[in-house]
Amino acid sequence: MKKFLQSPYLLLLAMILILGVIAGCSSDTEGEGDDQTEDTEQEDTQNEGSEDTGNGEISGELEIQYFVGGYGDSWWKEVIGDFQEKYPDVTITEHAGPNINEEMRSRWVSNDPPDVVYIDGAGSSETQMVEDGQLMDLTEWLEGIELADGSKLKDSFIVDPADYDGKTYSLPLVFDTWGTWYDKAKFEAEGYEVPSDFESFMSSMEEIQANEDIAPFVTTGQYPYYFLRGVLYPAFGAAGGDQLLADVIQGKEGAWTSEPVLEVMKKVEEMQKAGFIDEGFGALNHTQSQMNFLLGDNAYIPVGFWLPNEMANDTPEDFEYGFIPSPMNDAGEPMAIVPDLRPLAIAEQAENPEAAKAFVEFVFTREYAKSFSEHTGAIMNITGVDLADSNAPGYLIDANKLINDPEQVQIYQKPHPMSADLETPISNSLVSLMLGNITAEEFVQEAEEAAAEYRAGLE
Amino acid sequence: MVQTKKQKYLFLAFCLVPTFILFAIFTLYPLFSGLYYSFFEWSGSAADKDFVGFSNYIKLFNDEIFPSTILHDYFLVVTKVIGIMILAIFFAVALTQLRIKEAPFYRVIFFFPNIMSVVVIGILWMFIYNPGLGLVNSGLEMIGLEEWARPWLGDEEWALPSLVLPSVWAGIGLFMLLLIGGISNVPKSYYEAAEIDGASEWQQFWKITMPLVWPQIKVSILYIVITTLNGSFIIVQVMTQGGPNNATHVMGSYLYQQAFKQFNFGYGATIGVVILIISLITVLILQFFMRREKVEY
Repeated sequence: MKKFLQSPYLLLLAMILILGVIAGCSSDTEGEGDDQTEDTEQEDTQNEGSEDTGNGEISGELEIQYFVGGYGDSWWKEVIGDFQEKYPDVTITEHAGPNINEEMRSRWVSNDPPDVVYIDGAGSSETQMVEDGQLMDLTEWLEGIELADGSKLKDSFIVDPADYDGKTYSLPLVFDTWGTWYDKAKFEAEGYEVPSDFESFMSSMEEIQANEDIAPFVTTGQYPYYFLRGVLYPAFGAAGGDQLLADVIQGKEGAWTSEPVLEVMKKVEEMQKAGFIDEGFGALNHTQSQMNFLLGDNAYIPVGFWLPNEMANDTPEDFEYGFIPSPMNDAGEPMAIVPDLRPLAIAEQAENPEAAKAFVEFVFTREYAKSFSEHTGAIMNITGVDLADSNAPGYLIDANKLINDPEQVQIYQKPHPMSADLETPISNSLVSLMLGNITAEEFVQEAEEAAAEYRAGLE
Repeated sequence: MVQTKKQKYLFLAFCLVPTFILFAIFTLYPLFSGLYYSFFEWSGSAADKDFVGFSNYIKLFNDEIFPSTILHDYFLVVTKVIGIMILAIFFAVALTQLRIKEAPFYRVIFFFPNIMSVVVIGILWMFIYNPGLGLVNSGLEMIGLEEWARPWLGDEEWALPSLVLPSVWAGIGLFMLLLIGGISNVPKSYYEAAEIDGASEWQQFWKITMPLVWPQIKVSILYIVITTLNGSFIIVQVMTQGGPNNATHVMGSYLYQQAFKQFNFGYGATIGVVILIISLITVLILQFFMRREKVEY
């Protein structure tokens, strides 16, 4: 041993060890990028090596980042496969998965983003990406895009793209709509009326509470934005239209303490005081609240269109999903829906913007909109798609009919998603209100203070 | 054969350099980059960041939520130290002094939560606390105390105290083993002599066991304090996400929310720096109060 310690082998061993550590920790950007997406990356390498010829031909490498959540990835696979067929000179690299936003974060931070991004899921924020200047301005390009029938894409959206000071940075792909779900089979069997306004909603909950001995309404307290987006946004839309909705989302001075907002919050207080809101909601995460709903512990739950897909494995056989816009509107007024759009965008620093634009244009067709509904059970943000003869689920066909009937349902648009800096404090106060710890008046005051702080942070 | 000076230094370098490199990469670099980012306004998801000097620190001192997160952290520290130490000492003494036949079995049982992931523990206790189906509320109803049943994790008053039980449950085993080791090293002759002198078991515990296992108790308390200040955010994140209405946010979970959910990474880094300072001060104060001469008989 002593001999070994004295020999030059020791020095050699030490050098190897140190070099090994240094090499292992050195920053090889290419390597890092590859590692992050090792599980999900799939490369169609038929035409590897081909480069953009620069003459308008679509070629080269195209990187697409998309989140895989409740809607699965089968639709994406179909669309990307078809695009590859149409543009064989393009080498497509997919970055996909349920944690893809986190996995790709270092690529965005190091100014090496993918070309196309579908903005959805935890860890993504369209507003933040626009604020950080990460998305390409598509305003002018969008003007020239036409669908197969010659109509302009710009005029064919169910809901217009998010507007950032008159500019468009993303195209709304998925028409996600929050609303209130109920068990259609049970309602039919028990003869419960499906509510169409706040008054009938309250009387329906009263009847269910008396008959079933349950708290009729549940939501997740760990993610209070489910109630904010699923119930309050439509209520604000119904009470004050797009303007009020925009004002509360942007935290305009006086918006949260305005009369229509206070009226809406009093409705929520009324629900709480009547004991209609499950008093355990504060402890529930979204899955638990949805499980309770499916088990019949509650009759109504506000969630988006993804609920049936997300809970497919846990849905009892005799359960039938029924969907209505959250009935917070006054009697005689149409019900209200505020879509929560999941957009497709092109990175400002995209290395292959031509292919990226070709892909985005390729995706927005009525054919793919129909196939989207069949694959995901949700609606793509394109008008004039007839789902009646499709394989789309029943609740979706019903909802699609409702959405396209302005006498029954009014669609209100928010200018863009609410910033997390405003949504978080408001959501916290909302939980307090729904637990009965503060009044509607105290809530609007707290929300107004949060809005003032948010505005101050923007300056 | 005597080693030359060069060979001696070479051997020292062989032992120390790799360790130092790893320490520098995994401890010093994140520490200093955290400090660096605390002076920037940065979303954490883009390359652009603006130098803002001390404004993140000024914002933190005016933050209404942050002081309550410190209080929540210290509530968990105090309750965990008391709960874990009392139960760990009790079980350690019981398993070593009371000559229980099944002692090895109990040792395994008590240590079991320590080999479980905190995430699993959190999920398990979420079910135990479930307002409708949970063991706690069902148990209370079974013994006729249904008026005590409540949505534990969904109640602004009870959510934080409810986190103490899983944290204590998960922590007992390790410290119990540490103390068993300490107690086993106390010579039996001390207890025999004390018994001959007529000392009761209670007196033996206070006059012999406690002074002689003090080093283990001290290490245990310090360890609980440090791991609670640095790690309690995991159980918060899993069980309550800091809610309802910030009632369970600890400094770590608030940092996570700011940095990764609200995209205020620079501000999150500032909170991280303050957590480091608070932890250091706490440990220094603790060491000052717990200094005590080593006892030998």
